[in-house]
Amino acid sequence: MPDSTPTPDPRRFEVSRATLWFDRLMGWLIRFGGIGVIVAVFGIFYFVGKEVLPLFREANVEPAGEVSGEAAPRVLGMDEWAELPFFYAGGNEVVFSNVATGERSVLPVPGLDEVEITAVSHDPVKQRIALGTADGRIGSFIVNYERKFEDGREPWVAPSITAEPWFALENGSGPVTALGYGDSGSGRVIVAKRGEGPSSTVSVLRLAMKKGLIGKGKLTLAGETDITGQLDSEARIVRASQNGAMVLVATRSGEIDYFLASSDGVTKRQSFAPFENTTPARMDFLFGGVSIIVIAPDGRQEQWSLFRREGEGERLFGMTKQFPTLPQGDLHFAASQRNRSFLTTAGRFLTIRHSTSGVVRWEGEADIDPAAVALDAKGEHFLVAAADGTARKFSIHDPHPEAGWRAFFGKVWYEGGPGPVHQWQSTGGSDDFEPKLSMMPLIFGSLKGTAYALLFSIPVALLAAVFSAAFLPHSVKRVVKPAMEIMSSLPSVVLGFLAGLWLAPILETRVPSVILMIAAVPLSALLLGYIWCRLPIVFRNRFEGGSEWMIVLPFLALAGWLGWALGPVIESWLFVYKDPSTGREIADFRLWWPQATGIPFEQRNSLVLGFMMGFAVIPVIFTIAEDSLSNVPKPLTAAAAALGANRWQVVWTIMLPVAAAGIFSALMIGFGRAVGETMIMVMATGNTPITEWNLFSGMRTLSANIAVELPEAPVGSTHYRALFLGAVVLFAMTFVMNTIAELLRQRLRERNKIV
Amino acid sequence: MPPAPPSTPFATTGRSRKGEPWVWLTAAGLAVGVVMAMALILLILVKGTASFWPRQIELMEVQTGDIVETIAGYITEERQRRDGEGVVHEEIQVFRGNRDLYGEGFKFIDRANIAASTRPGDLLLVERMEYGPAIVRAVAMETPAGRIAAGEPGFEKALNETIERAAEDRTRMLRIERKQIGANSRELTEIDRAERAGRINPETAAARRAMLQEEFTRLQSQAQAIREKLNLSRFIAEAVDGREIVFPAEKLIHVFPANEAGLMGRLGEMFRRIGTFLTEDPREANTEGGVFPAIFGTVIMTLAMSLFVTPFGVICAIYLREYAKQGQLVRIVRISVNNLAGVPSIVFGVFGLAFFVYTVGGGIDRMLFSDKLPTPTYGTPGILWASLTLALLTLPVVIVATEEALSAVPRGVREAALACGASKWQTIQRVVLPASLPGILTGIILAMARGAGEVAPLMLVGVVKLAPSLPIDDIAPFVHPERKFMHLGFHIYDLGFQSPDAEAAKPMVYATALLLIVVVVTLNLAAIHIRNRLRKRFAASSF
Repeated sequence: MPDSTPTPDPRRFEVSRATLWFDRLMGWLIRFGGIGVIVAVFGIFYFVGKEVLPLFREANVEPAGEVSGEAAPRVLGMDEWAELPFFYAGGNEVVFSNVATGERSVLPVPGLDEVEITAVSHDPVKQRIALGTADGRIGSFIVNYERKFEDGREPWVAPSITAEPWFALENGSGPVTALGYGDSGSGRVIVAKRGEGPSSTVSVLRLAMKKGLIGKGKLTLAGETDITGQLDSEARIVRASQNGAMVLVATRSGEIDYFLASSDGVTKRQSFAPFENTTPARMDFLFGGVSIIVIAPDGRQEQWSLFRREGEGERLFGMTKQFPTLPQGDLHFAASQRNRSFLTTAGRFLTIRHSTSGVVRWEGEADIDPAAVALDAKGEHFLVAAADGTARKFSIHDPHPEAGWRAFFGKVWYEGGPGPVHQWQSTGGSDDFEPKLSMMPLIFGSLKGTAYALLFSIPVALLAAVFSAAFLPHSVKRVVKPAMEIMSSLPSVVLGFLAGLWLAPILETRVPSVILMIAAVPLSALLLGYIWCRLPIVFRNRFEGGSEWMIVLPFLALAGWLGWALGPVIESWLFVYKDPSTGREIADFRLWWPQATGIPFEQRNSLVLGFMMGFAVIPVIFTIAEDSLSNVPKPLTAAAAALGANRWQVVWTIMLPVAAAGIFSALMIGFGRAVGETMIMVMATGNTPITEWNLFSGMRTLSANIAVELPEAPVGSTHYRALFLGAVVLFAMTFVMNTIAELLRQRLRERNKIV
Repeated sequence: MPPAPPSTPFATTGRSRKGEPWVWLTAAGLAVGVVMAMALILLILVKGTASFWPRQIELMEVQTGDIVETIAGYITEERQRRDGEGVVHEEIQVFRGNRDLYGEGFKFIDRANIAASTRPGDLLLVERMEYGPAIVRAVAMETPAGRIAAGEPGFEKALNETIERAAEDRTRMLRIERKQIGANSRELTEIDRAERAGRINPETAAARRAMLQEEFTRLQSQAQAIREKLNLSRFIAEAVDGREIVFPAEKLIHVFPANEAGLMGRLGEMFRRIGTFLTEDPREANTEGGVFPAIFGTVIMTLAMSLFVTPFGVICAIYLREYAKQGQLVRIVRISVNNLAGVPSIVFGVFGLAFFVYTVGGGIDRMLFSDKLPTPTYGTPGILWASLTLALLTLPVVIVATEEALSAVPRGVREAALACGASKWQTIQRVVLPASLPGILTGIILAMARGAGEVAPLMLVGVVKLAPSLPIDDIAPFVHPERKFMHLGFHIYDLGFQSPDAEAAKPMVYATALLLIVVVVTLNLAAIHIRNRLRKRFAASSF
């Protein structure tokens, strides 16, 4: 009999090659994709961090060339592009020396032949050099730089010189020995010292600029004031602020006298002595003309600023910052024209410091003995020249001088303020605005908003979770829980708009009603429970357990309505505002609150915010807390009930302690949700960066701040990066909180498994 | 009689008195929570619907001092105001329309000053292209055929015909002005660029330019002709104070007899308004017209987002659950992914701006669109970056949901598949994924709901208050991922807080909020529904 059954394929137990290949391919694909996604997600931190890091970098200074002016530089200046510095030795010509080519050119200054220059001063903003002569005359000239473009040639800088008219001093005699020059646009203020020794005099010359309809204006003498009599000893340093509003004179006794110059004359406002009996070795204005940097002969360096002290009406000078002591040596100084950085040299020691944060940005050494220094207008280069005219150019890379740990998290004494504060004010009206970038008011705002939100949400959410987990029948829970979950998905922009446009105007006039309602609702529930359990058991048995929340509803509504209606009554009884001028009494909480507490009442306040944030936070806390309460092992609760505990005792002594970790993690996640909430914060808080816990005022949170300011911030600026820092802080806060919460929950799950 | 067997752990509402008040306090907590959620949705529902409902127009004689003023309008709000002396005034806010005559559309009137109030049937609510609605009495219709006074036979017919023709002609003019002239000017810029790049010689460019200019003039005069012909018809009316208002047909949108219309007429008007709201472009700084571009933008953005998030989320979850070795590292990754769901959305927005817009977008610009620089093409916020940012934001939602669904597939099912000789991937593809599909779908829908309602990150990566063109249209290449877009959520923020006339914008805000909530809640309900069905299925199929 032939064998009819075919021989089985020996490879019948093998898997098809294609299947295996495909399996392997998909395995690699999924591994690659999965790991790729995880890496990409964590790339977020890298990228956000990368934007923040430059804020904490120090300045980088590199040598960038040499040049020589072949003359002792009494004044050193530089163009905006740092290509063509000028050297002025005090004669009738200015030497320009090209850094790149070493080419030198000389421009004559008109009207300086046969004039003996005895004093000079330099204003780097306008590139004005003011001159004082041996015969008591004062004049000035301006070095203009112009960028020229021509086809087929690299753009180059062409200098020119404009001279201004001379004015003779009336007071005093002898040569002008020190000079300060300020230009307000409509006038000039010049302070000049004549002669040396005890017989020297100091006068302030005011010039007015008469503007014609066409052409340039004409300078005329507006007045000369002799201020020698108002000084206690011989003047050593005289300075006029760049904007021509102030005159400062440092005297031999160590005193600095502060004069205010206006169109009416010169008045002395203040005398102060930074270094007791020592005359400052240098005294120079900073950018903005509100602060001066003074250096003692022993190297102490201090910043003195104009500010209004508590209870005083006038802005006077006071010490705001001390910088690390400089080494001994010849002192030179140049202030940035862009921010509050300044360059100081002491001998061969060079340092760049920043006045806002009071930190040293850079320190270094020069290989020549500086006789003059200059910073360019962009603050990207500086030039140090020795007495023989050789000069070294350095490039500065310091894009964020005002940043740093202290500026973001510490108290900083900003110009014009009465003391060190935490403040956020990123943009201002003028060029010389000092940005205030403290994160603290924003962190405070975030915490305040979160605190008020949680204050309302936690009780509601936890009570609801306890009831739902312990008492609510399953059939009802199947509806109630998803309803709460849907509440969490309500877009926050809708909540925010309701808070700002609907709720805030309603609550504004009904604050006493709200307070009453908040008290009445829980009290009525407690009272109802108290009465209920004293009703006959026969009656109570008619209601199935778990329906309490339905029974309590009408009573809550009644209590709420009563509170709402009685609010105005309470208001007219307790919150009566008495008009201080007319003595009329008005029952209005909005007026009463500021009068009684001294803090403001705003329409968009924490009360409104706390309530509306409830919609976002309650469901989050509720869901997680309910889960952990529901997952308390049945044997535990059943055992407690069998031992005779009543239903509240079971909840209080068994469920709550067992689920405590889960409830805590629910609170943490609720915190995370509230801290990061953006749209409600933007729309309902008023966005003022204040730091007070007042319930009836708003705040500015980290998240709202980013949403409002980031679209406007120039890419790569300190402001832009500071907003990124805000995002990092926000991220860190929530990530840490969430991780703790997650770990707690996992531990709880494992513990519950054991039971 | 013995009590019925308990259906819950605590059948009766407590026999012991101890602690019972606290139980009631927790009950109050739940009641407050549920009532809050319901009340909020109800509020939006009522306010949103009310913004479409045509209200009756009151004609009031208002006496302030010696001056008697006739005001017609519908009441929008009632309030109590306390003046400087503490006296309470009952006030009503009236929308009187006719902003071209009065300057302001809204007016507060003290109830005590209203001498008489009637609702005459001849008052009409006129919708027009400019200045918001007008409340008038009809006087006459002027058509090329002649003048028909109000009340004469044929007046209504002439008015309705004019309105219809106006709508048609406006569409025609729009087509010419936006599309054809738009194409014309696009071609002009293209020629400029080509000439600068040296791709065509100046003579050809000049000739082409002259041709385009000629066509432009022709199109313009074409549109002008339609406009002039249309405006031969005019609707003449007078305000309640007797001042005449002339509506050229071009500006006329709709006339509604607010007081004469019955219930059916009102319902019809309401549906017409809802239709307008859903399908038309916004007008008058977004306070009138519709929100169609915002709906379109939201939908496209959400769809693009789910397109990005679904594959990546699912692959990542499959990797974590099926392929990765379950150890400490995977545990840490899982916790971190979970936590990402709790990271504030604005942080994702910040990242999107730095990474997608400036790094990736800027890179694309430098490589592919360097001839357009410094004007950025992709290096500026746009819909592509917005949907990518939101995809990142919702990634944890999808990963977590998918992982849960995967782990819910019973072990027995997998083992059965493997025992039958299926490879690992075949098991996943044929058994595990189909079984967990509802769970994955739930995750995706939840992600879409979250994405649709999120606004804060969008403010940084691409949303604008008024986008001139849609991200998908009929101009090649049809899909424009670099364009900025409008979004319902941002529309609410912009209308409510940055609108020049916040009062006039309120109905639009409520209507938009209602629409957004309907979208989000529907998505959520769908997710919950699928989840519940999924539970049942697994309850039946578990071994």
